[in-house]
Amino acid sequence: MAVGALDNKNVIAPIQVSDGYWKGVLRRLMRDPVTMGALIVILLLVLMAIFAPYLAPADPFKSSMLRRLRPIGTPGFPLGADELGRDMLSRLIFGARLSLFMGVTPVLMAFVIGSGLGIFAGYVGGALNTAIMRTIDVFYAFPSVLLAVALSGALGAGIFNALVSLTIVFIPPITRVAESVTTQVRNRDYVEAARASGASGLTIVRVHVLGNVLSPIFVYATSLVSVSMILASGLSFLGLGVRPPEPEWGLMLNTLRTAIYVNPLVAALPGVMIFITSISFNMFSDGLRSAMDVRA
Amino acid sequence: MTELADMQQSVARDPRDRGGPRQPLLSVRGLVKHFPVGKNLFGRSRNVVRAVDDVDFELLKGETLGIVGESGCGKSTTARLLMNLIEPDAGEIIFDGEVVGHDISLRDYRRQVQMVFQDSYASLNPRLTIEDSIAFAPRVHGVSRREAVGRAHDLLARVGLEPHRFAGRYPHELSGGQRQRVNIARALALEPRLVILDEAVSALDKSVEAQVLNLLLDLKDAFGLTYIFISHDLNVVRFISDRVMVMYLGKVAEIGDAESVFAQPQHPYSAALLASMPAMDPDARTEQAPLYGDPPNPIDPPPGCRFHTRCRFADPVCSQTVPSLTPAGETQQVACLMRQYGSGHSCIGLEGRA
Repeated sequence: MAVGALDNKNVIAPIQVSDGYWKGVLRRLMRDPVTMGALIVILLLVLMAIFAPYLAPADPFKSSMLRRLRPIGTPGFPLGADELGRDMLSRLIFGARLSLFMGVTPVLMAFVIGSGLGIFAGYVGGALNTAIMRTIDVFYAFPSVLLAVALSGALGAGIFNALVSLTIVFIPPITRVAESVTTQVRNRDYVEAARASGASGLTIVRVHVLGNVLSPIFVYATSLVSVSMILASGLSFLGLGVRPPEPEWGLMLNTLRTAIYVNPLVAALPGVMIFITSISFNMFSDGLRSAMDVRA
Repeated sequence: MTELADMQQSVARDPRDRGGPRQPLLSVRGLVKHFPVGKNLFGRSRNVVRAVDDVDFELLKGETLGIVGESGCGKSTTARLLMNLIEPDAGEIIFDGEVVGHDISLRDYRRQVQMVFQDSYASLNPRLTIEDSIAFAPRVHGVSRREAVGRAHDLLARVGLEPHRFAGRYPHELSGGQRQRVNIARALALEPRLVILDEAVSALDKSVEAQVLNLLLDLKDAFGLTYIFISHDLNVVRFISDRVMVMYLGKVAEIGDAESVFAQPQHPYSAALLASMPAMDPDARTEQAPLYGDPPNPIDPPPGCRFHTRCRFADPVCSQTVPSLTPAGETQQVACLMRQYGSGHSCIGLEGRA
């Protein structure tokens, strides 16, 4: 009976189903402990931001002149208190909300706009490409920090204006990456073959270009999240982004800087959070890059 | 020859055929493509590469036309011009009696002419499964997904890849020979009448190359195809071609039946090119270098006959007069002043010594 079952044709020529591309990426990611660690840290930070009201032991806005600058480990204040006597732990937990938002949103918006612009420029090529890319190059003349500060200063303080100026800062580098990958893909034989089959430009971009172009741009964009967080912190530090008393790590670093000689450990805490978050995003994007390489 | 006549008859039975078996499937008239190199400040270029310069030829129904020549002679540019992947600067392409772009739209023309590229990996989208790659072209032309995938599976079986094993795979999971079979299936998905094979077997191992060549011959009979076969491998061209076209620096040097071109080349360049083939017979080995030097720069090709700088028979007249294609030998047409009576070349009447 068992021998008869083995005679089945399916056994001789087993159906070979290939894993999808993303399944392969996920499998390679799982095998990389450093990247997985970074991913777990990022997820924990996101969860922390979402569930901040449930996690925070105290009200992040409640100040007390009596409890100013308590050191780390004070009973009731596990991470001490800031210059207005507010609970540091609660402020750091709530700060994740704005800090992550300020780190991710500009990159996401710049990813959408920049890849659209770059893919268009790269696929169309010619004079239009030159026009778009030279305009983009103008932005490269300014250091990104200076550009963000100048734009924010011109637009005026506030979260929305900070987001807009950071988005503008990130559009040029993303556009440039998108343009260069698209130009490479456009000259591949499979795009030629698709053109030879009479497909329209839009169909070719949708089927043959996007799939091969979006992942390298995405990897690059993830590496910008940490830059964005630091720039946003910088803007808040200068009083151009988030305004007090909102908890945001960059702003907290700013207001605590006067206390650096009194209680340096507490004053450094927001910086530690920024450091952990940005290094996690950087390591994750590095791991993603190697996991997305099909021939790895 | 009767084989070709049979093939012409069977190709002419195709319901899409218009002009009957004797009308060329493709007539190319005065095809020109110059690539600008180095632009000045105003976007105007000072120099042009004359990649394809005034090329005429006819492609008969059901034949395989081999195009040979050394690197940079314009073989691949000709193929891309025929596919209209690049715009010609001048000249017209007449497909079965209809001028492409006038009587027949580019879209309809492309349904009937497809191409197989040299690099089997670069010509398949790494993110698409094999069946999706093959089904793409029919989908573009409005075939339903189910039907297009069904056609892809049929074609995979036709090119010798079991559909249930290969259809869902990605290009990097196949070998070079398997990928090139997929590329052939993809080219056939639109049921073309003409397939341009641009160095399609050049990157394959010899044993795999032979299998793919036999596959190409089988498919030609089965689907009533006409081939343009571009290769630098003269043995392969001799094996597969009915007629051969020799190109030099963007121009046609000689065109004619494969056997007569290989047996009695009429153009000094064809003779030199064929003499460069390693002989299997040790007594017939090549003793003398058939040709010296490199081809001249196509940016500034020599005036008159483009071959005169390297030709053993060059005369003063060769650097002044551009030769035109004239009948010579049994079946050939040759662009050489030695074959052109009244050209003033001192070797006229001494042919056969080339």
